[in-house]
Amino acid sequence: MISLTVNGQTRETVAEPRRLLCDVLREDFNLTGTHVGCEHGVCGACTVLIDDKPARACLTYAVQMEGHEITTIEAVGEAQLSPLQRALHEEHGLQCGFCTPGIVMTFEAFLRDVPDPTEEEVRDVLSGNLCRCTGYQNIVAAVLKAAATMREARL
Amino acid sequence: MSETGPFHYIGKPLGRKEDQRLVSGRGRYLDDIVVPGALHACFVRSPHAHARILGISVDTARAIPGVAGVFTGQDLEKWTNRLRLAPPIEGLHPTEIATLPTDKVRFHGDPVAVVVACDRYVAEDAAELVEIDYEPLQPIVSLDSALAPGAMLVDESLPTNLVSHQKFAAGNVDGRRRQAHAVVEASFSQHRQTHVPIETRGCAAVWDPGRAHLTFHAGNQVPHPLRSMLAMRLGIAETQVTVISPDVGGGFGQKIALYREELTVAALARHLRQPVRWREDRAENLMAASHARENLCRTRASVARDGRILGLELEIVEDFGAYCFYPANYMSRVVAMILTGPYRIEDYAFEMKVALTNKCGNGPMRAPMAITSWVMDGTLDAVARELDLDPLDVRRVNMLRASDFPYRMATGEVLEDITPAETLESAVKAVDYDAFRRRQRDLRGEGRYIGLGICTVVESTTYGSAFYKSAGIAGSGHEAAWVRVEPSGVVNASVGLGGTGQGYETALSQTVAEGLGVDPSQVSILTGNTDVAPYGMGSRGARGGTAGGGALYLCALKAREQVLQIAAHRLDLNSAQELRLLDGQVERQIDGRWRATGLSLGDIAKIAYLDPTRLPEGTSPGLDFSLTYDPPPMTYSNSTHACEVEVDVRTGKLSIIRYVVSEDCGTVINPIVVRGQQQGAIAMGLSGSLLEEVLYDENGQNLSATLADYLVATACELPNFEILHHHTPNRRTPAGIKGMAEGGVMGAIGAVTNAVNDALAPFGVVADRQPLSPQYLWSLLQNAPTASRQEGKERSERHE
Repeated sequence: MISLTVNGQTRETVAEPRRLLCDVLREDFNLTGTHVGCEHGVCGACTVLIDDKPARACLTYAVQMEGHEITTIEAVGEAQLSPLQRALHEEHGLQCGFCTPGIVMTFEAFLRDVPDPTEEEVRDVLSGNLCRCTGYQNIVAAVLKAAATMREARL
Repeated sequence: MSETGPFHYIGKPLGRKEDQRLVSGRGRYLDDIVVPGALHACFVRSPHAHARILGISVDTARAIPGVAGVFTGQDLEKWTNRLRLAPPIEGLHPTEIATLPTDKVRFHGDPVAVVVACDRYVAEDAAELVEIDYEPLQPIVSLDSALAPGAMLVDESLPTNLVSHQKFAAGNVDGRRRQAHAVVEASFSQHRQTHVPIETRGCAAVWDPGRAHLTFHAGNQVPHPLRSMLAMRLGIAETQVTVISPDVGGGFGQKIALYREELTVAALARHLRQPVRWREDRAENLMAASHARENLCRTRASVARDGRILGLELEIVEDFGAYCFYPANYMSRVVAMILTGPYRIEDYAFEMKVALTNKCGNGPMRAPMAITSWVMDGTLDAVARELDLDPLDVRRVNMLRASDFPYRMATGEVLEDITPAETLESAVKAVDYDAFRRRQRDLRGEGRYIGLGICTVVESTTYGSAFYKSAGIAGSGHEAAWVRVEPSGVVNASVGLGGTGQGYETALSQTVAEGLGVDPSQVSILTGNTDVAPYGMGSRGARGGTAGGGALYLCALKAREQVLQIAAHRLDLNSAQELRLLDGQVERQIDGRWRATGLSLGDIAKIAYLDPTRLPEGTSPGLDFSLTYDPPPMTYSNSTHACEVEVDVRTGKLSIIRYVVSEDCGTVINPIVVRGQQQGAIAMGLSGSLLEEVLYDENGQNLSATLADYLVATACELPNFEILHHHTPNRRTPAGIKGMAEGGVMGAIGAVTNAVNDALAPFGVVADRQPLSPQYLWSLLQNAPTASRQEGKERSERHE
């Protein structure tokens, strides 16, 4: 039996030491927004926040997560879409949407740390998430737009 | 049928309806569907490229707690039918595939046995314990070895590995060669690639023994053809199968065929009377799902002094891999048929050879004819090099002009309503061709090498059933739709497409809205369930807009006609001629102005469903409409890509400086969605040209089974794309829609390679294969003819 803090809630489950965090989130907690794309840490679709920092849920064992705070896509924009989610919609930054939750998690964290990024910085960070549909151009535009929106909201 | 007038809803940049759930992680992909009590399948795969199966021992694996069963090809032979492909195509050998191999394995990753267990972890544990005794055979890992006399057979039912061979000639290419000022030869080698949808394959099969019915959940582009194939291979009726395709995380052509793993899972669910599910891991996806491309084209152009092509010959050879899930001639055939594209070439001949090898089987991947435009425009560049002409002039002198259309290509295909000369000129203007040449000259003086590549694309988009017939491809190009105005006046509509991210719920709602006269927000598009959708041919090629959108538009027009007839009756008018439906309100034209009648679609629907005695005589109750639509034999879109690159001649590193594409895809249903498709297609073309490569070693071992080995472009490798628009509607299709979603791949492959060759021209080298890796470009420069290498080197050193 392990106890995990996910999206602010304490949840318990039985998990063998080898079970991946992504599997526990998806199968035991029904948090299926964390997608599994490669299971070897390259594609970034399974990105969640561990103690507010982006991490690959497919490279993390669930048992390692006791005492840590996990945030998944389900906690972002629960009441209404976040500025980043809204910008992804407005800029057509997604097509099939499979990679999108990982991208949202990556940049929710990034934009907190870097509120006014350059296009180059956004592309550099985005290179940790593979998207096969969009060619990235609209995702970059969406991140920059969300950054601007969030900066304005802070003023 | 054509409409050139303004549209109300088609062409609006509406944000996508599907985004709300997808950005918040509430999409419903295959693995998100909970199937209570489902067992998990894991496949045991061949470690050999080519080997005879001498024996399989499953006892140890079966003894693991949690394992429900271990099954082999012998078991599946009892429960399924083989796939026999024998379309009546001259020069194509019939082939047959067992569900799982019983005699020998044909590629590294070939599924040999399957473990079914309580969860995926246990299934994987047990799969490692299945012992298979193999006798390795000589692997065939190249076209040369496949076609060598006496080569080991990949498929022992065939006389040789040459599974398909056709020739064609129009005009007199031999005579043209003799007349020519010069005969220019060029070659183009496209490497093996794979689709890499970010969601891998997978399925969940539920057999209901009470109803004797299979519910099959799978992310798929063609739900109904998949259902037909499942029923046929399982030996049950199509009425016993429902295919449900949820949100799909990308397809790109990989999710069309019924794969052996999927069939196995369905058969096991039926045999075990318990749901079984399977999700492929990434290594399996890269090694064993479906591969694509790997073809070699050689051209020989007989040309006049000014670069005009008098005659053109093509030889295309394709490495099809080990198994035929599609007729082996299919992809190469399209390349050969449309090669001449935007150019006037009357004398044309081709020879097509397709060979089997010990690699994963090939299938169509976004732009199965991807190599076409590189081969054609690359040939023109070779002509320009040989005759010392400007490559732009060579294009202009051969280009078809507006007055040439409709134009019957040498292969008999008819081009019309396309504008290649216009897209060429607008792209060239956008990049300021002459200024580029000056800049290029100046930079060469500084030891920097920039290049501009131009590639004009004529993209075959929507294949009507007549094209399938004439090309000898089994299948049809029609599509089916239904539209139902519900009693409250809202609208459900469905079509046989299977979306994988194209924004159908939004764009297709606009075609229904346009035909009917309601706001798109009132229209729901239902796809991906074979019990709900009409039997259609699904999503492939670039047919979604033209065939699917067209069918829905026509069906909605049919609905509008009846709605307005009912309205006329309610308003005591003799005919509906002066009525229209707009935003769900019936309006009447009086003295040239549209005025409200007070009747809404909701009022009409209420009468039609709940008070049908008030309908005009002879009108059926309800508002339920369906139709099928067969597009013209082929529709074409066109574009010109212009790519500016810089090559660092010391390292071979390639950088894309600027990318412009001028595109004419006719009527645009939703400009946001269309632009996204254009960007995505170019990205896939560039990613394939620069980075991606399926690699096998000399023993047929797959060396690219992780995403760290099989490189897909990230945000750091791709530029922003500048897109210029032309909108020439197709006069034969509903609303003038043409389609576009593959041309970007075709143009990108050609434009970037032509650009590299333009940059490297001073060194006298030509890149004639891909990927354009730094290693490859560097090696080209090392082997450059001495004089030019020296010249280039001196230039680059002068400024270091």
